[in-house]
Amino acid sequence: MMAKGMTQRIGLDMPVMIAFGCIILLLLAGSLYSREFLSPDYLLQQLQVGAFLGIIASGAMMVILLGHIDLSIPWTVTLGAMMATALGGWIGEPGVWLAIPFGISCGALIGVLNGLGVAYLRLPSMIFTLGMNAVVQGLMVLHTGGFAPQDHATDAMHFLAVKRTIFGIPNALFVWALVGIIVILILRRTAFGRAVYAIGNRESVAYLSGINTNGVLIGCFAFCGACAAFAGVLLAGYSTKAYQAMGDAYLLPAIAAVVLGGTNILGGRGNYLGTIAGVILITLLQSILSVMQMPEAGRQVIYGAVIISMLLLYGRGARTRS
Amino acid sequence: MADRKPLLELKGVSKRYGGIAALTDVDFTAYAGEIHAVLGENGAGKSTLIKIASGVTDASDGEVLVNGTPHRFRSPTDAMKAGVVCVFQELSLLPDMTVADNLSMAGTPTRGGFIDHKAQRARAIELLKRVGCEDVHPLELVKNLPLSRRQMVEIAKALAKKPKLLILDEATSALTAKDVERIYVIIRELRAEGVGILYVSHRMHEIEALADVATVFRNGRKIETFRKGERSVRDIIQMMIGREVTHHYPPKPPYQDNREPALAVSNLNWGRELSDISFAAGKGEIVGLGGLDGQGQRELLLALFGVLKGVEGAVTVDGERLSLTGPRPAMDAKLPLALIPEDRKVEGLMLPMSVRDNLTLASLQQMRSGLGIDSAKEAAAVTAMVDRLQIKAPDVAAPVATLSGGNQQKVVLAKWLMTEPGIILLNDPTRGIDVGTKQEIYRLLRNLAAEGRTIIFYSTDYAELIGCCDKVLILYGGRITRELKGEECTEHNLVASALNVETVPEKAA
Repeated sequence: MMAKGMTQRIGLDMPVMIAFGCIILLLLAGSLYSREFLSPDYLLQQLQVGAFLGIIASGAMMVILLGHIDLSIPWTVTLGAMMATALGGWIGEPGVWLAIPFGISCGALIGVLNGLGVAYLRLPSMIFTLGMNAVVQGLMVLHTGGFAPQDHATDAMHFLAVKRTIFGIPNALFVWALVGIIVILILRRTAFGRAVYAIGNRESVAYLSGINTNGVLIGCFAFCGACAAFAGVLLAGYSTKAYQAMGDAYLLPAIAAVVLGGTNILGGRGNYLGTIAGVILITLLQSILSVMQMPEAGRQVIYGAVIISMLLLYGRGARTRS
Repeated sequence: MADRKPLLELKGVSKRYGGIAALTDVDFTAYAGEIHAVLGENGAGKSTLIKIASGVTDASDGEVLVNGTPHRFRSPTDAMKAGVVCVFQELSLLPDMTVADNLSMAGTPTRGGFIDHKAQRARAIELLKRVGCEDVHPLELVKNLPLSRRQMVEIAKALAKKPKLLILDEATSALTAKDVERIYVIIRELRAEGVGILYVSHRMHEIEALADVATVFRNGRKIETFRKGERSVRDIIQMMIGREVTHHYPPKPPYQDNREPALAVSNLNWGRELSDISFAAGKGEIVGLGGLDGQGQRELLLALFGVLKGVEGAVTVDGERLSLTGPRPAMDAKLPLALIPEDRKVEGLMLPMSVRDNLTLASLQQMRSGLGIDSAKEAAAVTAMVDRLQIKAPDVAAPVATLSGGNQQKVVLAKWLMTEPGIILLNDPTRGIDVGTKQEIYRLLRNLAAEGRTIIFYSTDYAELIGCCDKVLILYGGRITRELKGEECTEHNLVASALNVETVPEKAA
């Protein structure tokens, strides 16, 4: 009873344990191929890369918990990167300090628009955010004139994304940890977090209980947009510049990480520990497949197959429990 | 009764969910051409019995025989093939499809591989006629029908499967008196045709009126099977709850006309559903909403809670005008309003979430400390409320879905009591719950009223309105047609005014 209570408290449920189990299996399998896979250097490198995905997945999780989805993530990532790098060119010196907040705010704005559409116009989030993605894409193409912009990342962006200040731990990891702690606190300790789960379970009940459901919807979409843009800012720092379609590779992994971590794709259930596991799992899987020099086509097939089979595994687990 | 043929037999049937026994060593026989009432509190094992008989779940132990041959139903379709058809308490209609589509869900008539719409429609008309719902258009979407009509369609759907054994699980809980009469007729016709009927209901008078045989369950065991007239109602209730019942309803204080006003409604209009609704309710008063189902009672409660858009008219709470723009203003009124909704599974609870999360959902603002929730305060409030309403839950962290229907309803009530409401709007709160819990709820309502709270109480059960309310407003076609005060609340007056019959001699001034 005691042990059960403990595992429940920290959110170590069945899907989360499966995800962590898979991470260990992947590492062991990788180590058969090369001992390098168990070296601290490699692992830290992976966590650094995973941090960007982790930040995006944090936002995606809030929206998925509501029972919605945000498909505007790819171009919101690009938007964040481009706006942050462009600001210096527009306003000169102060842009260095305002670049990161400005990039994040632009993403949040897109999120607010998504939220307004879903909350007040009652449009399905899948369609609305997909449309938003196309709109943002168009705006960014307009912004760059169709070419890769030459705006470079600021030093602060580079510092957060690439540098290792304390004990050789990547700064990006600390940034992810900060975002993660915020999400955990919101979900566990605030009325807002309770409302997120309530809406994901049954929006009508939440509404009739006096919860400002539209406000919560907008808040979560705004957070998701902000997270995506923040990740874009960091990615710009990582590769020193912003470029077209830089966020395209993150949509499926972000949603997959959240869902592999045991968050119900229909909303209402899930915890952040699972999302952490999902992010690490996806990152390792991508890395190992590429280190093994698997051709791109094969990588995609294995990647997709792993995600589907893990979901099947959870489905079975859920059924035997009920 | 020489030709009693056992239709369905259960021998030594047990069912366990995890470690918990839902049914223990039950022998049960239902005969063709007999109406067999299944009685018991919620959680007594009735639902499990029905689920086993209709193939929803499998028995853990024991044997199920249909017409003398052992069967093992793996799905409701298996049971249907053996002639066992069940009308479930939870409605199983698809809201976005038409009545005709729903009625022919199992066995759609086809011609050349395509749906034969003409035949389907003809069949729907015939079935609807059979259940006395000629007024329902077969091409109407199910979601546009009031609950009582939907339930009749549900019964028609079961009849479409030509059952040998028909199981009705709380089939009348949403029906109006007239529909219930119609159901009686249908059931008796079926009996005459040799169909066996298992009838589950919490309404004692229905069982008296219908049943040939009755079996009482308690705590997953069969207590006794007896024939009609062998046991008094008192005995039966005693068997069901296993404790002495003194009063069905708590005593009512004498009617007071000069109560301090709490809620005043004047000229409330909403589309064609509500017209010119005006009434007042005093502090400590229980005001019933009566009348046939679907006459605007539900809409009236929703309008008061601010959920409906475009409501005209004025609502004042303790002298202050209430803005009808959403639940929040209603909950923040000088006397806070609370709405206990009709369908606890859709509007009242988040079934997969814990008892605790459900209980505090409406009162999270009171639990705030800084930005977060004060978990110690929350835990204390939850424990106090669970004790106060005697909610039987293994653990406040357990999902609400694991509780019995009666306890789920208590969670909904408790959730709203935690907001310390001054005016409580109740929408048919005792639907489909057991006698014991009903009585607890009646007592609770009376206590809440004695504390000075105002209660607006809609019920489809006349006896409940008579037993609980200080005054009853009768609605008909969206208007208040009559107000029955104190002693005027009699069955005769209620029924007569509900049908809007102008033959009532003691018409109030």
